[in-house]
Amino acid sequence: MDITIRIAGEAGQGLQTTGDLLVRVFTRLGLHVFSTQSYLSRIRGGLNWCDIRIEDKELFSGREQADLLVALNKDALDELRDQVTEGGMILFNGSAESGILGVDFSAIAKELVGSAVMANSVAAGAIIELLGYDIEELCRFLEVTFKKKGDEIIQNNVKCARQGAAMVSSQAGHIAAPKPTGSPECVCTGGEALGLGAATAGVSFATAYPMTPGTAVLTYLAGVSDEYGITVEQAEDEIAAVNMVCGAVYAGAVAMTTTSGGGFALMTEGVSLAGMMELPIVIHIAQRPGPATGLPTRTAQQDLKMVLYAGHGEFPRAIYTPGTLRQAYDLMRRAFETAHKYQSPVFILSDEFLVDIQKNIEPLDKIRRPIVQYIVEEAGPDYQRYTVTPDGISPRAVPGGEALVICDSDEHSESGHITEDLAARIRQQDKRMAKGKGILAEVIPPEVYGPAEATHLLVCWGSTYGPCREAVDRLNSGEPNFAMVHFSQVWPIDVEKVKKILTPQGLDSSLRKITFVEGNVTAQMASVLREQGIHLDCDTLLRYDGMPFSGEEIARRIEK
Amino acid sequence: MNLGKFDHTPAWCPGCGNFPILKTLEKALDQAGIDRRKLVLTSGIGQAAKTPHYTRANVFNGLHGRALPAATGIKIANRDIEVVITSGDGDMYGEGGNHFIHAIRRNIPVKAFVHNNQVYGLTKGQASPTSDLGFITKIQTHGVRNTPFNPLAVAIVEDCPFVARTFSGDRDHLLAMMVAALQFTGGFVLLDILQPCVSFNRRNTNQWYRERVKPVDDSHDPFDRRAALEIALTWGDEIPIGIIYRSNRKSYFDD
Repeated sequence: MDITIRIAGEAGQGLQTTGDLLVRVFTRLGLHVFSTQSYLSRIRGGLNWCDIRIEDKELFSGREQADLLVALNKDALDELRDQVTEGGMILFNGSAESGILGVDFSAIAKELVGSAVMANSVAAGAIIELLGYDIEELCRFLEVTFKKKGDEIIQNNVKCARQGAAMVSSQAGHIAAPKPTGSPECVCTGGEALGLGAATAGVSFATAYPMTPGTAVLTYLAGVSDEYGITVEQAEDEIAAVNMVCGAVYAGAVAMTTTSGGGFALMTEGVSLAGMMELPIVIHIAQRPGPATGLPTRTAQQDLKMVLYAGHGEFPRAIYTPGTLRQAYDLMRRAFETAHKYQSPVFILSDEFLVDIQKNIEPLDKIRRPIVQYIVEEAGPDYQRYTVTPDGISPRAVPGGEALVICDSDEHSESGHITEDLAARIRQQDKRMAKGKGILAEVIPPEVYGPAEATHLLVCWGSTYGPCREAVDRLNSGEPNFAMVHFSQVWPIDVEKVKKILTPQGLDSSLRKITFVEGNVTAQMASVLREQGIHLDCDTLLRYDGMPFSGEEIARRIEK
Repeated sequence: MNLGKFDHTPAWCPGCGNFPILKTLEKALDQAGIDRRKLVLTSGIGQAAKTPHYTRANVFNGLHGRALPAATGIKIANRDIEVVITSGDGDMYGEGGNHFIHAIRRNIPVKAFVHNNQVYGLTKGQASPTSDLGFITKIQTHGVRNTPFNPLAVAIVEDCPFVARTFSGDRDHLLAMMVAALQFTGGFVLLDILQPCVSFNRRNTNQWYRERVKPVDDSHDPFDRRAALEIALTWGDEIPIGIIYRSNRKSYFDD
């Protein structure tokens, strides 16, 4: 049994603060928490909400309806009251009306402590009480949180929380909330997991031009820059951001940039530069709906093909698409490893949904464990940067030692100097492409969740992991006919391996249904697989309104 | 087809201003005692941007207009490396204009040697950001109407710590400016090098520059910003050369 609490209001009303407070209190209580944001591209006004879902087991997706709607203003009440489950409750920041509990959070805070700032604590107190949890747990948490701010602040917050609880005590425990059974303590967002993955991998230089939702990773890295020794630079534009990274890795740094689709469009020439110069750059792209400026604060999976084809000319690359917070952390590290091993551009493709997910998970290792950069120290005066080798990987030196390191965006000879020798061109182009074989050999196979011989496969990539996995669980509550196939690396494609999973020999393919679940209009992943010669008779289940899938939505649409 | 041998000789026309710049750069690097192993020559695209290939140094010959962000990344990754940008007016002031503005604001300690011939050479004679008003080309058939970009004035307004101009036809002056620039450690260096393009600029010829360039007066105090701006705005019958502006502004690496 799980419960979704939806706190809604306008930007600037402290939704995030209340949400964050509750996520941490629920975690302390020992509940599994899964929280998402829905916000407009504005700093004040509008209608935003924060969903917090709690359960006694791990959660992977949000829900469509709320069991408890906390409406901080009239707009939120009017807009969202229809999206409350049967038997659910509405708590309104104002006066009560029929079927609606009214508690004026700001007025209470003002009356009690002379400031509306602590309205969040009043709201949190009321919510905890309605769910039947121990208000003392919230008070203890407030004590810890505000320890640095002194006794008065602590006492005032506690007072507010208790009063919030008292206001609804007649309805205490009205909502049947899950029993805490213990849960992981590490509260983390997708953006933080990605950032920590980069920091622990030894990233020493990170750049970006601010763009929602990609900025979250740069903000995290800036916050830990002193701790991990990272130079964080806000570039004048995305073109500078990627070219700075190219220069930095040439000189020996572990470097990355982070952006969204529009910013990445500007970076594409730099991607091609990294392909030509064989530079180990990592680019994180958090997708949002396009074309153009699109919906800046919403989610999408529309840039797979752009990232796959970005950059003129032909060169190898790898694209990782994490589906969980743990994968976000692990694959960010993996991206740096692959980039350095194969001296090629590598991409992490996430989206607003993944970046903004907040969840309690098993702790991520915070120890800095720098990746291997494969830089040759012993290169001498005869060194040639682009020596032809069977696997295409030329020993990479960096400037400052005995060897001179010559890199050119023009076609070049083994020495690195510009050349228009057409035979040398072929040798270098073949050398660069040869690295693709190594990248392919190390590709992460898609994960199968559910029975391997399932008669219906839901195929997805990236952040759709959670909703799809939950849909499989829901659909399998009767006959276990469903399985999920999730790609956490969408490029390159190991065709034979993928075929084996999707259409195993010995399984009558006419008895198996395959549905691609993607956050776009054209089923880009299905199309990429077809292009690779994987001919599939498949259905699609798509969403492109800017909101993430939920498990119940996928299950409902499949059952239709 | 082996065309390799053509790659090792400079791709410049006889009489090109890039030749004296290259020769003097070699001399200046030696005179300033630069260890070639700890030197990265960075450039974008264009005829001037090929310069790094003809010297002995580490080379990062990147994308058109993007020499400065690459140089910034290199310097941040390893501040023991001397980063010198040798690129042209189109690359640095046109395609890379935004980076020019912000690299100076950032005050990243790299040295920009801009070969400024007031025309696009590699694409065969279109107007550049610094082309004079009225300059007629195959594209600007009625003459250039855009106000010429004034790199020195922009740099001074941004408080660039070292702003100088020189002329490829005056080797001694060129050498002195390059050595001074290489020895400067306080932040971003802009050295605008006036240079003739013998193929595509018949207006601003070697002779034309020679008749006009005039070293700034000894009495000029380069720390006087207003006086420096006045000099930077002088262009026409007289073109001032020399160290025009200096400031003690903190560099990117200073706390």
